[in-house]
Amino acid sequence: MKKEIPILIGFFATIGWYLEFFFAGTFFENWKMFFTTGFRSVAIVGLLVGIVSVLRVNYSKIKYNNDRWYSVYQMSIIALMIIFASLRGVSPGTPFDVMFYYGFSPLDATVFSLLAFYVASAAYRSFKIKSVESAFLLVAAILIMLSKMPLGEAMWDKIPVIGEWIMDGPTSAGKRAILFGAFLGGLTMMIRIAFGLEKSHLSD
Amino acid sequence: MEKFIQILKNLDRRWIFLLIFLACIIPFWVPQLFDQKFSTSKETQRVYDIINSLEEGDAVFIDWAFDPTLQAELLPMVEQTIKQCFDRKLRVFIYYPYLTGISLGENLVEEIKKEAHYKDLQSGVDYIHLGYLPIGIDMMVFSMYSDFKSTFGKEGKIFKGIKTFADIKYMMSFAGSAHPELYLLLQRRFGFRMGAGVTAVTGPDFIPYLQTGQLDGMLFGLKGAAEYENLRISKGAEKEKNHRANAGMASLTLSHLVMFLFIGLGNLVYFYERKYKKSN
Repeated sequence: MKKEIPILIGFFATIGWYLEFFFAGTFFENWKMFFTTGFRSVAIVGLLVGIVSVLRVNYSKIKYNNDRWYSVYQMSIIALMIIFASLRGVSPGTPFDVMFYYGFSPLDATVFSLLAFYVASAAYRSFKIKSVESAFLLVAAILIMLSKMPLGEAMWDKIPVIGEWIMDGPTSAGKRAILFGAFLGGLTMMIRIAFGLEKSHLSD
Repeated sequence: MEKFIQILKNLDRRWIFLLIFLACIIPFWVPQLFDQKFSTSKETQRVYDIINSLEEGDAVFIDWAFDPTLQAELLPMVEQTIKQCFDRKLRVFIYYPYLTGISLGENLVEEIKKEAHYKDLQSGVDYIHLGYLPIGIDMMVFSMYSDFKSTFGKEGKIFKGIKTFADIKYMMSFAGSAHPELYLLLQRRFGFRMGAGVTAVTGPDFIPYLQTGQLDGMLFGLKGAAEYENLRISKGAEKEKNHRANAGMASLTLSHLVMFLFIGLGNLVYFYERKYKKSN
């Protein structure tokens, strides 16, 4: 029963949602709030599981001195944010917001912006014309980059037009092919889950 | 030549990092370094025209699906979109599918309200932050089509006349991922109108949806944001000439030129070595 019940739930949920799409609002009007409330409850429980997991991982790290101070730091920040949010709320100007806006926000943006440096370094090392295909790739990449900056248009007013053609034609065709493949794969997965052939989501 | 090639071959990547760093920051002090004139793409123009065509009191749904990592590209475009909605006296509903975006959005609106033109705007009347819901977009869309207000559990005059999502006239999804696709999958089912504001990296993913008409318009990367900003500047709606997006364009240009330089040098090393090997 441990496997059969989840498979049955999967079957009815999959078929239900699939039919809902085609018979919009005819049979399933009352189901919508049931499912959305249900999902919200599940997500909140998931959030609690996440918090417990973070606490457990960091507790064992602190106990066995495995990068202890990183864990102490992480736990302190989590505790501080929870205390600030509980005492003064999260609206702009509160201590929570100040920590988020002047602490988390620049750190988060900084980590992501490092990508620019690595992309430049990687382009220097590996973006080489080793074949006809790579020559096409390089020329297309440079045209697209030029079309996305003011200098490209200043150099030649046709560069944005060429960039647009590359995007609308070859790029779009490739994207469509990928989308078709991905959605066919999704449909297959849906059928497999509905009929209990796919059990990986049940840890089987 | 041989010596030069050897230097390039063994170039420490920290030199590349330094040059990219300088290329990114110098233009902020010397913004007139590059010609900033550029035309407006049709996707950007469409977003501007659609919002401009909405009538006073119409509702616009802003889907704020980004966190501080993408603020350099997306914050300027969302700022101008919200300002345009405020100028047109539209009701703005801002939803945050990611928790880490909330503070960013709330602070942006507070910043906008500091400008004299927007100081009388009231939360719950002219705009509302709908917060974060721990459910998927599909569930949220279904819920919004059942009961818009109770989906978010918020109150305010702004909800007057908005029973379901069908009463929302336009939505814009701002993201640096495939996130807007989640709405597009349900668009056929419900028939809502939407546009998107995306990063330059994810932009090509949405072009098929522009071609099918599922997306009415799209703001594409920092250039799209600058185009939108320029449209508003040209109409006199935005006073600052070198505002957020335009301020970043010179930096974008110079950093790309440095990239071109290094790609060129990398290829020079490659071809020189190939020629040298062949001749030996």
